[in-house]
Parts: sequence; C-alpha cells; structure tokens
Amino acid sequence: MLTTSAQPSERRSALPLHLLLCLLSMAMIGPFVWMVLTSFKTLPEVAGEHWVPHDWQWRNYLEVFDVIPFTRFIWNSLLVAAWVTFLQVLTSSMAAFSFARLRWPYRDRIFFLYLGTMMLPGLVMLIPNYQLMVHFGLVDSYLGLVLPAAFSAFGTFLLRQFMLSIPSALDEAAAIDGATPWQIFWQVILPLSRPGLLTLSIFTFMGNYHSFFWPLVMIKSVEKYTLPVGLLHFDSSYGQATNLLMAAVTMSVIPLIIVFALLQRHLISGIQVGAVKG
Amino acid sequence: MSMSPASRRQLGMGLLFLAPNILGFLAFTLFPLVASFGMAFTDWDVQRHNLFRDDPLRFVWFDNFSLLFTHPDFYHFLGNTFFLMMGLPAAIGGSLVAALLLTRAGKSRLAMRSAIIMATVIFLLSSLVLTLGGADSNGLLFLFGSLMATVLVFGAWSGGMLYRTLFYLPHFTAGVATFVLWKKLYNPQSGPINQTLAPLLERLATVVNGGGGWVLGAVLPALLLGAVFVAVGLQVKRLRRKIRDGELGSITRFAGAIGVAVPMGLITWWLVGDSGLGWLAAAIAAGVMLATTQVKPDPLWRNRVRAATGLGGEMIMAMAVITVLAAVGGIAAVGVHLPAMAADGLEPPNWLGSFQWSKPAIMIMALWAAIGSNNMILYMAGLTNIAPELYEAADIDGASRCQRFCHITWPQLAPITFFIAVMSVIHGLQGGFEMARTMTAGGPAGSTTTLSYFIYIEGFETGRLGYASAVAWVLFALVFTLSFLNVKFGNRYVND
Repeated sequence: MLTTSAQPSERRSALPLHLLLCLLSMAMIGPFVWMVLTSFKTLPEVAGEHWVPHDWQWRNYLEVFDVIPFTRFIWNSLLVAAWVTFLQVLTSSMAAFSFARLRWPYRDRIFFLYLGTMMLPGLVMLIPNYQLMVHFGLVDSYLGLVLPAAFSAFGTFLLRQFMLSIPSALDEAAAIDGATPWQIFWQVILPLSRPGLLTLSIFTFMGNYHSFFWPLVMIKSVEKYTLPVGLLHFDSSYGQATNLLMAAVTMSVIPLIIVFALLQRHLISGIQVGAVKG
Repeated sequence: MSMSPASRRQLGMGLLFLAPNILGFLAFTLFPLVASFGMAFTDWDVQRHNLFRDDPLRFVWFDNFSLLFTHPDFYHFLGNTFFLMMGLPAAIGGSLVAALLLTRAGKSRLAMRSAIIMATVIFLLSSLVLTLGGADSNGLLFLFGSLMATVLVFGAWSGGMLYRTLFYLPHFTAGVATFVLWKKLYNPQSGPINQTLAPLLERLATVVNGGGGWVLGAVLPALLLGAVFVAVGLQVKRLRRKIRDGELGSITRFAGAIGVAVPMGLITWWLVGDSGLGWLAAAIAAGVMLATTQVKPDPLWRNRVRAATGLGGEMIMAMAVITVLAAVGGIAAVGVHLPAMAADGLEPPNWLGSFQWSKPAIMIMALWAAIGSNNMILYMAGLTNIAPELYEAADIDGASRCQRFCHITWPQLAPITFFIAVMSVIHGLQGGFEMARTMTAGGPAGSTTTLSYFIYIEGFETGRLGYASAVAWVLFALVFTLSFLNVKFGNRYVND
C-alpha cells in the first residue's frame, strides 16, 4: 500500500529532478566545452565573445607538437606513472599480505605505525627527500621520480582491507598442502585480490599522472618533463597562444576521460573501501 | 629477547614480506621526517651550504621559529590557508546535495518517452531563439540547449549514471591542466566568465543608478545582518540548551567559539583589508559566543560531563555557521558598496589579478572540482546503506521531507560526514600549492600564498632549508593537533 502511494509522487518529481541535474551537469562541463571550442579557434578569435569558432583550426593540434615536445611529455608521464604503479602494487601487496594473512609478533603495532604515517603531511618530508636525491645524484633523473613514490602506506592499507575479506580457510588449506608463504601469496591471495590490485593501480597511476610538486622540483631538463610540468612550461613560455594551450590541455584531459569512462566501476568501489577506517 | 623459536620464525617471515616496503618507508618517510625535524633547528641555507661553499651548519635553537612567529607574512599566509578552507563546508554540502539528487534520480527514473519529448522542446526552443535573435547573439544558448537535450536523453537512458560521470569529471581531471584552463576562464578581458558578467553588471548598474541603489545598499545588508543575528542567536540557544543538559563540555564550548571567531576575523580582514580589525572582529565574536553560552550546567550532570563532550558535532555545526557567515558577509559587503561602485559603472572583478578577488576565484574553482568528488561517491554509498524501514516508519508517522532528512538521513550519514570533514581539514591545511604555482604565483601581493606554497618558495626557490623545515613543522603541528582532537573526541560523537 505504501509503495503504491509513493509511486505517483516519485514519478511526478522525475522530470524536474532530471532537468535540475541536467543544468548542474552543464555547469560541470561548461569549462570543458569552452576548452575544446577554444582549441579550434584562430588566435585573434580567442578574445571574441563567440564560443563556437568560425572556421575550425584542426591544425592547432598538430602545431602543439611543433612548439613543445608534447609527445615526450606524455611518454615521460606514462613511463613514470607505470613504473611507480608496478613497484607500488608489488611492495604494497607484499606488505599487505604480511599484515593481513601472516601472524607474527608486533604486527599490529607496526601496522598502526604505518597507518599513522598516512596522516603525516607530505610537505614535511619533501625537503629532506630532495636533499637525499641531491646526495645520490638522482636529481633530474627518472629514477629520482619513481623511487620515493614506489612505497605507499595508503596502498598497503587499501590492499590489507581487500585481503582481510578473503576467507582464511583458503590459505590454511594451502598451508596444510605444504605451500610456502610465498606460494600462498603468489598463487592464492594475489589472484583473489585482483579487484583490489586494479583499484590501487588506477589510484596510483592517476595520482602520478597528475603528480606535480615532485617532478617540478626534481626535473631540470625540458625533455624529461612530465605532462603537468610540461603544461606549466608551455603556459609560461607560450601562454599567450591560448588556442594552442587549450589544444594541449584538451589532449592531456581526454585520456583521463577515456580511462574514467572505462574504469568507473572499479574506481568507485575502491573509493568506498579506501575510506573504511581500519 | 624471550621469544620462542616458532614466533621468531614467524616474525622473520612477516618482516621478509614487509621488507621491500619497510626499506622504502625508512628511507623516504622515517629518515626525512627525523632529518626535517633536525633541519628546522639549523641555519641550513643553500646560499651558504652548497658544492662551492661549505660553511659549517650551525645549530640555531629556536631562531627559525621565532623568526617565523614574529614575521607578519606568516600570519598573512596562515590566514590565506584558513580563508581557502572556508570553502570546505560549501564543498562538503555540495557533495551531499549532489549525492541526494543522484540517488533520487537513480530511484525515480525518467521515462524515455518524456525525456525525448522534453529534449525536443529544449532543442526547438533554443533553435527558435537562435533564428529569431540571429546567430551572433544566442549561439551560446543554442549550444547549451542542444547539449542539455542530449544529456537529458542519455541521462534517462542510463538511469542517472551519466550525471554521476559528468559530476565526477572535474574532480577526476583536476590538476595542472584544469588550473591552466581556469586561469584562461578568469582572464579579465578574453575569459568567458567576465564576458558573461560584464553585460549583466552593466544592466545592474543602470538599475542601481536609476534609484534602486538604496534597496541594495541599505535594505539588503540590513536583512542579511538580521539573518546573521538569527543564525547566531539560534546557534547560541542550541549551545545553551546542550550545555545545560550536559551534552557539551567546556573544551567544546571554547572550540565552537574559535570555530566561529576565526572566519569572522578572516571575513572582516578580507572586506576591510586591515588585519588589525580582523583580529578585533575575531576577538569580539569569540567574546560574544563565550559570554552568551555561559550557563551553569545542571548539577546532576556536572560530574558526568567530560570537558570535550560533543566536540565532533559542534565542529560540524561551526562549519555550517561559517558557510552562512561567509555567504552573508560577502553579499552584505557587495550591497553596502554597490551604490558607490555603480556610480562609475560596474565592472567585473579582475579575479586572479586582484588582491581581494584572487582567493574567492580559487575557492570557486575548488568548489567546481570538489562537488563531484570522492566525497560525493562516499555519500552516495552511505545513502544506499540507510535501511529503507527507517523511512517507511517515518512515512507512517507522517514525517515531512525536511523531518526525514533531519532525523534520519543526516544522523545516519554522520560517520561519513565526520570522516570527510577530518580528511578535508587535513588536506585543506596542506592545500593551495598547485593553484598558487600554476595560476597566480602566490600573488597578487601574497594574497594566494598558502603555507604549502610558502614552504615551496623557502625550500626550493630561496633555498632557506632550515627555515622552510620550521614552517613545515608548524604545519605538521597544526595538522596533528586538529587530527588528534578529531580522532580523540569525534569518534565518540559518531558512535553515539
């Protein structure tokens, strides 16, 4: 009875609700619409009030590659992000296995120490870390970008949460069959935590694709710039060419949109697991 | 060590798996942490300690800290950081509203037929305006009209999924790319924001100059001032009742007073441009809050109430009051100055190039990126987890929609709100670097320099590493204190 009485009011509210959401969506994508349209304008047209270009300059996109080593920036970003992701998932999953599936003294105390470091402001560590890089001669190198980012308390925490949800009967059975801890990790737990690994990979990859502070201070030579630093460099040296700049911005945003559209589901479940407090 | 061989073996195995991670942790977290603490007490300066010139490092005790605390710039930058954080309640509220709307849209789907009809109407209307007004004037309307029509149809087809994707986009893409984009949007001449605002403001100026000025200049501020009094009055009444009932402790009372005083000071400082008056306003606000909430608690309860009872809830309430105050203060300020400003014609602000508008500009952009963020996703998950029986019971009791929200939805979401508030405060204190570096270079006149950008400047551009480390540790202390208070006292509120 309740549902039948609730139904008509729900249906009546559908259209205004959807129109409201539609309007809000316009506010959200408005800047992107302007960005794409501006990237097709000629330079004199940029200052005009019309959003839609009169004649579409497809060449703008090619010109970006002539003005700055844009391919290089994308490649650097992908390379660094991929390496960081690989290493971080590896080290985090091993640590998470240790925290979630192995029993050893002081385990929980060390885990809480890890958790505590997630609260530390990263800014405190940046200056000594940079001096460390200077000391080891890693400034202006890819290794210097990858290494400090390869170890993560957050990743450990996220994967531990995933691994805790795997029934413990599985590794007990494997242990009775004589499997070593490494075999249990590699052949039982890791394949079962695939959704968690994927989620962490997306987070880490995206985080490093966006990463700005560390590459900014570490990288001195233009051909090693990652995309965010490259965009900043483009803005400060050719920023007057708004149309080209917007073409570059469009090209760096589009891959993100595609990745997001494809992996939405995993991301959203990952956010929820990541927020559950330990 | 009195440990059995078995547990020693277990320890070894556990540490073996931990080893790769823990080595990195020691090298890139623990060591830098300790080193940074040490550096804060030295005069390490890249100018004097480098490859070519290696003066011995001196241990300078608290010189860096005393330099910092006696430097007016530090308070300016700290104020900037807090000012930008005043956007957080709006962002969290926006995420909640978005989540509510999206969840409802998921439940009450739009029928495909009505979506197509509505889309056709929108499309036809906007093309009608286009043909009547000529391509020059209303191309924009047509553009967004057809976009809206498309989104509406696909939104109905995907059952609301499309909206979630579109809402989440600004957050997902947020980074240097979108900051550079917004820098162009804010361009005072060629940016679309001012191109849209300029004609609207021109029209407003003619209205104000035509005799409507006193409405905006006197009535509006008066009304808003009244609203502030009502908001503060209600809050005071609530606090008094809670203290009398023993639901609030003394620390909470002080924290709440600070929570209202800080934004009052910041808004005054922003409006008047005088930091002295800002301090004064903060002191008055704190005084009023403390004086008016001074009540004797019920003696029965006195022994049972802990000093910090109810802190988490009061912090969230203080944040809500901040939002109201910020909005009202902003609008009232505009109202007061409007007639004088309109006399020589109204012009849109110079956004990132103006001392006063650079911070609001950044806050607006941050709000755009923050509404559809992870917080929205968390709220959506929280909303789907609320037991439908609760709402059914409320329906039987004849609860209004507002009552349903206040007595079911909001309390049920409290743990999520608390988590989001804690994380937002931690991030907010460290925030502002990327915007400052890409959009404003911390300016104009330091108006967008936050603590994180200050650390970057001192540590990586000026090269005063000791001093930068001291700033970083002050920031650390702030983050730690707020997190500690939240974790220690907030959990209890959530679990109640």
